[in-house]
Amino acid sequence: MTKSTKTILWVFFLIVALVQLFPLIWLVDFSFLSSNEFYSSSVLKWPSDPQWQNYINAWVDGKFLRYFINSAFVTSVTILLTVILSLTLGYAFTRMQWKLRSVFFTIILLGIMIPIHATLLPNFAIFKALGLTNSYLGLILPYTAVSVPLGTFILTGFMRSIPRAMEESAVVDGANIYRIVFQIIAPLTAPALVTVIVTTFLNCWNEFIMASTFLSKDALKTLPFSVMNFAGQYSSDYGSQFAVMVLTSIPAIVIYAIFNEQITKGVTAGAVKG
Amino acid sequence: MQKVFNNKMAIFLFVFPGILLFALTFLVPIVLSAYYSFRDTLSPGTPSAFIGFANYTELLFHDSRFWLALRNAVLLGLGFILIQHPIAIFFAIMLDRLGGKAEKWFRTIFFIPCVISVVVISKMWLSLLDPTFGAFNKMLDSLGLGFLKHAWLGDGSTALVSMLFILIWAGFGWGLLFYYAGLKGIPDDMYEAASLDGASGFRLHWRITVPLLSPVITVQITLAMITALKQMETVFLTTNGGPGDSTQFLAVYLYNKAFSASQYGYANAISILFIIVCLLATYLSNKLTRSDATEF
Repeated sequence: MTKSTKTILWVFFLIVALVQLFPLIWLVDFSFLSSNEFYSSSVLKWPSDPQWQNYINAWVDGKFLRYFINSAFVTSVTILLTVILSLTLGYAFTRMQWKLRSVFFTIILLGIMIPIHATLLPNFAIFKALGLTNSYLGLILPYTAVSVPLGTFILTGFMRSIPRAMEESAVVDGANIYRIVFQIIAPLTAPALVTVIVTTFLNCWNEFIMASTFLSKDALKTLPFSVMNFAGQYSSDYGSQFAVMVLTSIPAIVIYAIFNEQITKGVTAGAVKG
Repeated sequence: MQKVFNNKMAIFLFVFPGILLFALTFLVPIVLSAYYSFRDTLSPGTPSAFIGFANYTELLFHDSRFWLALRNAVLLGLGFILIQHPIAIFFAIMLDRLGGKAEKWFRTIFFIPCVISVVVISKMWLSLLDPTFGAFNKMLDSLGLGFLKHAWLGDGSTALVSMLFILIWAGFGWGLLFYYAGLKGIPDDMYEAASLDGASGFRLHWRITVPLLSPVITVQITLAMITALKQMETVFLTTNGGPGDSTQFLAVYLYNKAFSASQYGYANAISILFIIVCLLATYLSNKLTRSDATEF
């Protein structure tokens, strides 16, 4: 490719990137404005008098810290459980010898296709009867259940490509099955595990509909509720509403910035092997 | 070796917790859902009577909303397949050709919307498309296209298209990333061989890249259909199915039937049909795209 075509391509991408990011730029820009400035005719407006009060409102009345801690706790436990369950299930489906293997594998894979929204109503009734609504477990269990089928699918695809030689020599050395799975197989599947962790993180961190159905206790609510609560309380204060949207987006963007390279590699590994 | 892999205790410990959790959150609810779907339950826990297939016959033969919701899902799915995916493939190819630091930077930028929560995306687009202060209408004004100004989500004729636009914006990064990953799996000597044969530019990609990407495309088309059928949160948080059912989707419909209209039994009948439709769609799209792929 010649230098000039490369430059044209570069400029083209720059324009597209700006267009794509425009909604977010607009959101950040207007989160610093006061509500009456929203009605001016300019598309973007330099905040000559930045309204930091918007962010103070977002932090305090959006209960950012409380909800953030809830989100972090629920998501971390879900990721941990998903990784352990997908790893053991994946191993049992690819390596272990047992009769109902393919039947159970198919059943688990159905979980990818079954819409969670269809199980939402009965789950609400079941969780209510078991006393799981309004508890962390009431979110962690369904989040894990939704994440495990995809996790198992990704991991089985990856495990099939791992040669058995490593396990064979480990068996010769006298390692038992649990050591093989957690100390030999787990590190070998690291790229696929990263994909599982990332997709689980994104799904749970941003999940809203199950949380809003299963939770009503304020102390347990997760980050998306900051935005939801605000719409009522500050319904005419657009600046503060925008500030809470920006604020709640920051954690996921920071995580993405840190793990960006692994996400791409993980998806690449998953896409090629899967 | 065989002894280790036949370890019954280990198999049980590996499989049982996962299956138990799966049963608790998928299988038992579906059975329960089926039970409720044959009753005239108003809300969970209230007394109800067995009414046979009444809910189902009402849904299939007298409820135009159900079919409208399905039609909307099909239109949305077609929108994904015919608009979003070709764009994603095009950008993946361009990105792959770009190379170097720029490739990495743009790849990073294009994925950013995918990490933002659906609540923020919905509320943000609701504001962007707001008829009074939304940036979209202001932009049309400044471009001299003021006559196009519109309540994009508030008008039944543009609501579904606007929804498609929002969802394409939000999901573009995933599509791009998957196709990009697929492209990285195509060895360079394929391109060299093809360019020696005189293929170049558009022709090269149409003849070489797209066919070689077909396994990825197959999976992505199935996923696009499923995503369209499962569409819920963005619709729920922006238009809630309206105006006048123009953006009605199955999941939104059943949710509102259960929690707003107090027709829990009826909503569960929608749930059961919803599951059947999703499984059927997966099966069909797998079958159709598989036979397509063998042509190459």
